[in-house]
Amino acid sequence: MTASRSDSLPYLGYGLGLRVDHYEALLAKPAQVQWLEVVSENYMVDGGLPLVWLDRFRERYPLVMHGVSMSIGSTDPLDEDYLARLAALARRVEPAWVSDHLCWTGVQGVNLHDLMPLPYTEEALSHVVSRVLCVQDRLKRRILLENVSSYVSFAQSQLTEWEFLAEVAERADCLILLDINNVHVSAMNHGFSALDYLRGIPASRVQQFHLAGYEQGEQLIIDTHDAAVSNAVWDLYVQAVRRFGRVSTMIERDDHFPPLPELIAELEHARVLAEPLLKDAA
Amino acid sequence: MSTLQAIQQQMLEAVLAANSSALPPIRSDAIADAHSRLAVYQHGYRIRLRDALKNEFAGLERIAGRSFNALLDAYVETHPSGHYNIRWYGAGLANFLQGAHSDRPQLSEMARLDWAISTVFDAADEPSLGITELAGIPPDAWAGLRLLPQANLHTLDCAYNVDAFRRAADRGEARPHLRRYARPRRLLVWRQTMSVHYRRMDADEWQVLAAARRGEAFATLCAILAERHGETAAMGRMVALLQAWASAGLLRGIG
Repeated sequence: MTASRSDSLPYLGYGLGLRVDHYEALLAKPAQVQWLEVVSENYMVDGGLPLVWLDRFRERYPLVMHGVSMSIGSTDPLDEDYLARLAALARRVEPAWVSDHLCWTGVQGVNLHDLMPLPYTEEALSHVVSRVLCVQDRLKRRILLENVSSYVSFAQSQLTEWEFLAEVAERADCLILLDINNVHVSAMNHGFSALDYLRGIPASRVQQFHLAGYEQGEQLIIDTHDAAVSNAVWDLYVQAVRRFGRVSTMIERDDHFPPLPELIAELEHARVLAEPLLKDAA
Repeated sequence: MSTLQAIQQQMLEAVLAANSSALPPIRSDAIADAHSRLAVYQHGYRIRLRDALKNEFAGLERIAGRSFNALLDAYVETHPSGHYNIRWYGAGLANFLQGAHSDRPQLSEMARLDWAISTVFDAADEPSLGITELAGIPPDAWAGLRLLPQANLHTLDCAYNVDAFRRAADRGEARPHLRRYARPRRLLVWRQTMSVHYRRMDADEWQVLAAARRGEAFATLCAILAERHGETAAMGRMVALLQAWASAGLLRGIG
């Protein structure tokens, strides 16, 4: 089955990740910020201030939900409590879409709270596809899976990361959140071509872009999401816009939060880079 | 065991045991060897859990001083996370400190207060019974009714002035001197609408609140005070308690 992102999900424009540091500033609804992405787990609580803030932003912006704990690739059973809370939150928020990561976060009942890469094998592929189908059935919607930054690859892998991601999306009929920074980080850490990665991803599946910053380590690039978007990632973003066209795009900052205008300036830079290309293509 | 299960188990064990020489089937290449690659996950795991704890235990940081990071590291090394949400990782810290640092009981006491504040913050919303509603109850109905305190409030017995340390942390003030009380003080932690509060309770309030939480009738609450202070004084104290509880949003209803 071939899916088009225009089938059911909207194009949202340019957005930001919602973080506590920017709550007050974002309430003013700056015109450049067209939508917000919320971290699902931050609002999977019983009550109190987090949900009050969430409702305020829901009144002002289109929202999407982005999770970090689905652990879609784990060999532990899917966490029923997690899925129930996620489904309940989705009913409250009515997000444009729900996303998580193509990874595992724990096994044997222990959670590493990290986005651990999978071996890219046929076994892992079948396993992930079956679980995505289960989650989509549970949430009654297609989900987006995001590529993670990685520092290890496994001797057993038979496929490239992009072949694996593309195959999961096709077999499970899910969509893709392409983190441009993560593509760059993993390409540098594993020595593959980021452009090959982009070429290997089916355009019709890409629903959202993340843009973020990283830290250069001694040997490896560390995906910190705590810095400005690098020039290399901006260059790759241009290539991604050429390949995938008009895709909802956001800056994802997870730490070292600058004043909101700095993030908005980055978001505007994305717009300045993308819009002429999209206009030419139209 | 499938290949995927085996790989995940090996990765898990390698990340948890930072000094293990056993390596999962990770590729080495010209960019970095397998040990360096694994080390990114080992380091990140510890930083992430420690940071999550730092967010929740502001009072403990004040009372522990320079040993704070070492306390957290010891917890991280011995307590893998069992919950999908890292927000709950600190649930076992107070018990850990009680066992590992029995010579410094103020640490576990402080951690219990920090955790109570943290859990009240995003506990389920509850209705609040105000003074107006209480005033509307017919006089002859009082004896048999039951006051329903907030289900999510916490009470703590404290031998040390841990609330002063938490207050100093909340206000960015200097570290207070540690004091040990001759008799335990009782602390109350609750949320009124969206604000979390904590304060000390006297013996009257502690006993009456405990009885109300057990579901005792209002007449029994009055009898507790009458036994301590006599019938006449008891009524005045009960009225004062009711006014304080209602204005602080401590009552969710009557039953």
